[in-house]
Amino acid sequence: MRYVSPYDPAARTPVAAAPRPESVTGRTVALLDISKNRGAEFLNRIEHRLRERGAEVERYAKPLFSRPALGELIERIAARADLAVEGLAD
Amino acid sequence: MAPAFTLPSTTGAPVALADLLAAGPAVVVFVTDDCPTCELALRRLAAADAAVTVVCEAPPAAASRLSARTGFRGRMLSEPAPYDTSRAYGLEAVPTTVAIAPDGEMTETVVGWDAAALSAIVGLDLGSEPPARKPGCAAKSTYDPAQLAADADTGGDDPEAMFELGWTDGLPTVAPTPERVAAMLAGRDPSVSLGPVPPGMGEATLERVAACAVLAGCRPEHFAVVEAAARAMLVPGFNLHGQAVTTQPAGQIAVVNGPARAAAGLNAGMGALGPGTRANATIGRALRLVVALTGEGMPGRLDRSTLGQAGKVGTCIAEDEERSPWPPLHVERGLAAGTSAVTLVAGDAPLSISEHRSRTPQELAAALGWGAATLWSPNWWPIGAATLFVICPEHADTLAAGGWSKADVRRAIWEAVQRPAGELRHGEFTNRVGAAADEELVPKWDSPDDILLVVAGGEAGRFSAVFGPCVGMDWSPVTQEVRCDT
Repeated sequence: MRYVSPYDPAARTPVAAAPRPESVTGRTVALLDISKNRGAEFLNRIEHRLRERGAEVERYAKPLFSRPALGELIERIAARADLAVEGLAD
Repeated sequence: MAPAFTLPSTTGAPVALADLLAAGPAVVVFVTDDCPTCELALRRLAAADAAVTVVCEAPPAAASRLSARTGFRGRMLSEPAPYDTSRAYGLEAVPTTVAIAPDGEMTETVVGWDAAALSAIVGLDLGSEPPARKPGCAAKSTYDPAQLAADADTGGDDPEAMFELGWTDGLPTVAPTPERVAAMLAGRDPSVSLGPVPPGMGEATLERVAACAVLAGCRPEHFAVVEAAARAMLVPGFNLHGQAVTTQPAGQIAVVNGPARAAAGLNAGMGALGPGTRANATIGRALRLVVALTGEGMPGRLDRSTLGQAGKVGTCIAEDEERSPWPPLHVERGLAAGTSAVTLVAGDAPLSISEHRSRTPQELAAALGWGAATLWSPNWWPIGAATLFVICPEHADTLAAGGWSKADVRRAIWEAVQRPAGELRHGEFTNRVGAAADEELVPKWDSPDDILLVVAGGEAGRFSAVFGPCVGMDWSPVTQEVRCDT
């Protein structure tokens, strides 16, 4: 029985996650503030702890939590950082 | 002598009896995919890892699903209608298990499930839990040819197949066969793209939207509205992406205006919010399936709504323009009278507001407004999003009796629902409330423009309803014209 699929196979191709490094020492970590309430405070604490462990930290932000980050922001983070942390929820 | 056969396998290359016998004696088990005794036999054979070849009287996809359901990992062959191989073997019932020696002689035949006899044939203990024996079903080679032809048309049109594929919102869906999808498209170009559907960004070709409409249970006369609603949903200003992945319960609500309502058979009267009307239920559902399937916004996966709500199966209503004392929603929003349109709003399940006593427009407008005052959260004022009220005919009559226009009603609702900031400054409150002086009045809505009104519902009963909006997702209502000609 042949059916017409509602799915787009091109969109279903899974993207593998990059391998996880053993430590953050010497790595560049991008912190992305999605502009949820008090996200910056949370990321400040994360930055402090990462620097204590020898990481380089770069801060990024997108103006609205309710819309996806623009491609150029994602590309910039991907080009400059080894790891990324998003301040995701409230 | 065992009749020769060459049949397709579910894993690819066709398999001939001669191939099986070249490796030694063979055990062939004939089954169908809708026989409980065949499933029992396959489960037991699979559990014992018996080396048998199964011939399934069903298409390869159905045979594959049978393997998956029973855990059978051996060679599964698919026998197509009209089941000449089964007929050649003289089958009356399934399961029938035949042991065949390398020279082709049939050394043993077992009909039905018989634990002892089948254990002996395969040389393994197939287990002793009951039943020890169980008859099966008629082999399809015994069916009347007319019955076989009728079955071939539907070809195993089984709701379970859709559940197994995951092409459902939890309720049964209609299989999107090529014929049904073509009928739904009614000559439209299937390759036309409406764009990527968030959050998974699957491309909404008209063919995929039509597949969703078939799955939802739509008929072809519903599709013009489905297409317009899908286009509206993908307008950037609607921000479907935010709605599709939020922890909020909101879904996408469609309000239909114009001649398209009658053309689709939409209900604007008694029971307009459901259930009971195919057009309302299936059009709303088709839209949601585009999000959940094509857009991969399936609850629990990319859709992260904490609780969800029943309206997310689908919500579509028509405005009762003939009963309403006012201009219809789409004309208010700038379209010409006589055109057809869908307006999309992002909102929760409807909240009912009973008001059986108010006799003046002022009293009633205030009651409707205060009924909506705790939408989203009791102290979240202003709510900051467009809020759709469905006004029942009796309420519309009362509001219009004072000569009130829709704009007058909106203004009255807005004015009535205001509270001092000091009273709101508890629990979850807005920055505006946080910054205001205690005695400063804060309205539930930023402006009357955030209040949308349509008239619908039965003649008797003073129940209106309001949809709690999706909040903070940077969305605006979108109105899209419905193209009624193909």
